[in-house]
Amino acid sequence: MTGRNATQSRRRFLALGSATAATALAGCSGILSGGDGGDGGSDGEAGTTTGQQISLSDFRGSGPLVAQREAPGGTSIEDLPDLSGELTLYLGGGEGGLYLDLINLLEQRYPDFTANHRLEASSDLANTIIEENEAGASPADVFMSIDAGSLGAVANADATASLPDEALSTVPDAYQDSEGRWVGIAGRARAIPYNTNQISESDIPSTVQEFPEAAALENSMGWAPSYGAFQSFVTAMRLIRGNDETMSWLQAMQDHGITTYDDEFRVSNSCADGELAAGFANHYYTLRVQSARENSPIGLAFTEGDAGALVNVSGLEIINGTDNADLASNFVRHVLSAEAQEFFATRTFAYPMIPGVAPVGDLPRIDELNPPEINLTELADVAGTVDLLRDAGVL
Amino acid sequence: MGTKDRYERLREQATTSERDSSPHTLLAVVSLAISLLLLAPLVWVFLRAGEIEFARAVELLTSDTTVSVTLNTLALVTGVTVASILIGVPLAILTAQTDLPFKRFWTITSALPLVVPSYIGAFAFVSAFGPRGVLADLLSPLGIEQIPTIYGLHGAILVLTLFTYPYVFLTTRASLLSFDGTVVEAARTLNHTRWEAFRRVTLPQIAPGIAAGALLVALYALSDFGTPAIMQYDVFTRMIYNEFGARRLDYASVLSMLLLVMALGILAVESRLSAGRDGAYVSSGSRRPGLIRLGYWKVPALLFCGAIATLCLVLPIGILLQWLLRSGTGYSAGGFAFEAAYAWNSVGLAAAAAAICVVAALPIAYLSARGTSGVSSLPERATYVGYAVPGVVLGLALVYLGLRYVPFLYQSVILLVFAYVIRFLPQAVGTTESSILQVDPGYIEAARSLGYHPLSAFRKVVLPLVAPGIAAGAALVFLTTMKELPATLMLRPTGFETFVTYIWLVQGAGYYGQAAVPALVLVGLSGLSMLVILRREDTS
Repeated sequence: MTGRNATQSRRRFLALGSATAATALAGCSGILSGGDGGDGGSDGEAGTTTGQQISLSDFRGSGPLVAQREAPGGTSIEDLPDLSGELTLYLGGGEGGLYLDLINLLEQRYPDFTANHRLEASSDLANTIIEENEAGASPADVFMSIDAGSLGAVANADATASLPDEALSTVPDAYQDSEGRWVGIAGRARAIPYNTNQISESDIPSTVQEFPEAAALENSMGWAPSYGAFQSFVTAMRLIRGNDETMSWLQAMQDHGITTYDDEFRVSNSCADGELAAGFANHYYTLRVQSARENSPIGLAFTEGDAGALVNVSGLEIINGTDNADLASNFVRHVLSAEAQEFFATRTFAYPMIPGVAPVGDLPRIDELNPPEINLTELADVAGTVDLLRDAGVL
Repeated sequence: MGTKDRYERLREQATTSERDSSPHTLLAVVSLAISLLLLAPLVWVFLRAGEIEFARAVELLTSDTTVSVTLNTLALVTGVTVASILIGVPLAILTAQTDLPFKRFWTITSALPLVVPSYIGAFAFVSAFGPRGVLADLLSPLGIEQIPTIYGLHGAILVLTLFTYPYVFLTTRASLLSFDGTVVEAARTLNHTRWEAFRRVTLPQIAPGIAAGALLVALYALSDFGTPAIMQYDVFTRMIYNEFGARRLDYASVLSMLLLVMALGILAVESRLSAGRDGAYVSSGSRRPGLIRLGYWKVPALLFCGAIATLCLVLPIGILLQWLLRSGTGYSAGGFAFEAAYAWNSVGLAAAAAAICVVAALPIAYLSARGTSGVSSLPERATYVGYAVPGVVLGLALVYLGLRYVPFLYQSVILLVFAYVIRFLPQAVGTTESSILQVDPGYIEAARSLGYHPLSAFRKVVLPLVAPGIAAGAALVFLTTMKELPATLMLRPTGFETFVTYIWLVQGAGYYGQAAVPALVLVGLSGLSMLVILRREDTS
């Protein structure tokens, strides 16, 4: 790396890079293209940066869950070309608001970079982009969404442009589109939050199929059927077991007694409150409850190999007709950098998408989870799921 | 006698309007043009609905779920409307016509719940009265383990009523303020008791005002998504929302059409009810009736006002403060600081929407109130349709049409304000019309006979008398625009944030503490504007 004009932060990252090498030794090598303290900067416009000094600790969260983490592996943003120019970013989902922190950090790091963002519900933005694309060209350069289904819908409407190979190559195949039209940036595992005062982990069966027979869960579970992540889970069940079995399961769960909520953060909070013994929710809500309310009686269980173990992703795609293709590609690479992935892991408690970065706390590593084999783009078929949920009387 | 009197007046009016048919024709053309412009975006709903196979559409509309959800929705709408009248009308009378202590204070607290966004109000109720809520915590040491659930139809009716009854309050109050108090005095001299005087004189007078407010409440209850969702009560908007989530716009459109049919049904009911308004005395003036002395009723009246204010204002504000105090580690600040510009964006948008609505409402309301043919109230009726359209449907309709027909306005403030006008114009039309109905047409005749041009007669005579109605309309539009979320999200320029988009952002991210401050400022700022408006109302 030609670090003649290197700033102090740059040196700090180099130090970080050598720590990365240790992580790489721990079994994450092979995909690392740079950042291991040496020669990855060939495409970096070295030393021209005059932005604020942003260190790893700015990307990293704080609190008990984040203490004593090792340095993240993967490509450091120091080894990527500078971001420069104006990018129009459509940002989908309420939780997508968390990602604004990352955008702000990148804007601080690169004074010449501005991301005009537009935050709305993912499915609304997908609808909007599809309409915009049909009417001519979308003003959006990049669509970043918490929901692979929304990304898939935009892709299926031929509204995407191609992603850079450097980005696609760092992410496992399971977490990107098979045609490379979108790529995952953070993973969200389906999980079972439960109240540790009321039940223990052994009360929770290892597949969701057994839940309607579990005595400990009778009249004490909650779900959020209008919530996108829950619908993805049901879509996965339909793909694995078919509509009929899914329908019977939904009815059996209702007969077993289940309460409806409007989102899964509230399901998780209600588990901590003792209003529920257990619920269906994404894993990170439990971590957020734990982080906000120390010593709250909430635990997290995972099922195995079935729809209940689905790992869905937040991801992004470049929008068709962008006149900012180079900047958009470079932005995608930044979001998959070691620092940004550390951000997702420690600030949003998501599963990082590059192997060099570990999830927080006691979470099982992503390769220790046992997700079903499902093409995430197929999760775009939410319509069939909504029909089924309605016929089952759930929606 | 009232009816006959009214008909005679109408006949008189009809003959005069023949004489100067040109202003009336012009009025009709302008009103029709405005209402057509406002209805145009709904064409999109029909376009999209046309894409679905007919058989499938029938199947969807006749499914068990659709039927039961429709019944749920009607139950909710009816419950909320009735309850709002029961709260709004007594409050309006207490604050406008009695010697209630601290009247101005209670006027403001009675109107203010309208500024509380429903998602905050409903959330506050669940936090307070839900399982493991504040109330449950307070009662559990007393050995009370279970409290009745807040979830369900009754909870949804309660919460929606408490945050929408101000529609009835404001419109009723405007009617009370602009009617001629001497007729009540006259009734009293004719040995009518207070109650008889109220029933036979006051009530018919303010009925159009009550009906206008009740209509707004009913249509709001029909189109609201947030409150029923939080209160776990299944209504129509949730079905539509789910179809949008599934990106199945044709289904969402078919369901939206059913929603529009329900809205038309509500409009028809209201039209029939207020057909009786012809029985109202056409009399108005600045002479206020003597104050009703409450006597022993003062204490219950104060308790009533206080209870409503506590539930609608103290409770949500208390919950917001609790968010603020609980902002520990997990709630800690991210990178999105609130900027003063967001507040100005909100205020600017709301002021623009209110100004345009007031101006656009005047010809429509005047035509409807004074028009002589059956079709003259058509433009007025038409404006209400837009109010019943859920924000997300309207938002996407304008995205679609904006991109195709006015691309230079796409994602501009102009298109956004247009959306607000579509949604909220009927609020201004309703209050303005009920005020105009109370102005004796004879006044204008008198002015005309003094040689004034019709327009300047209108400006000098009618306008001052209907000013309270116009002010109330402006207030309603302003306040509801301030808190409108779905259309704002979809249509605002990229990077343009307001109070509500900011609250939505930080709340979605789980930073409730950060949502508290702007939410409190939103309520405070709206409260201030309310103060200004109510003061003007009193001096006019």
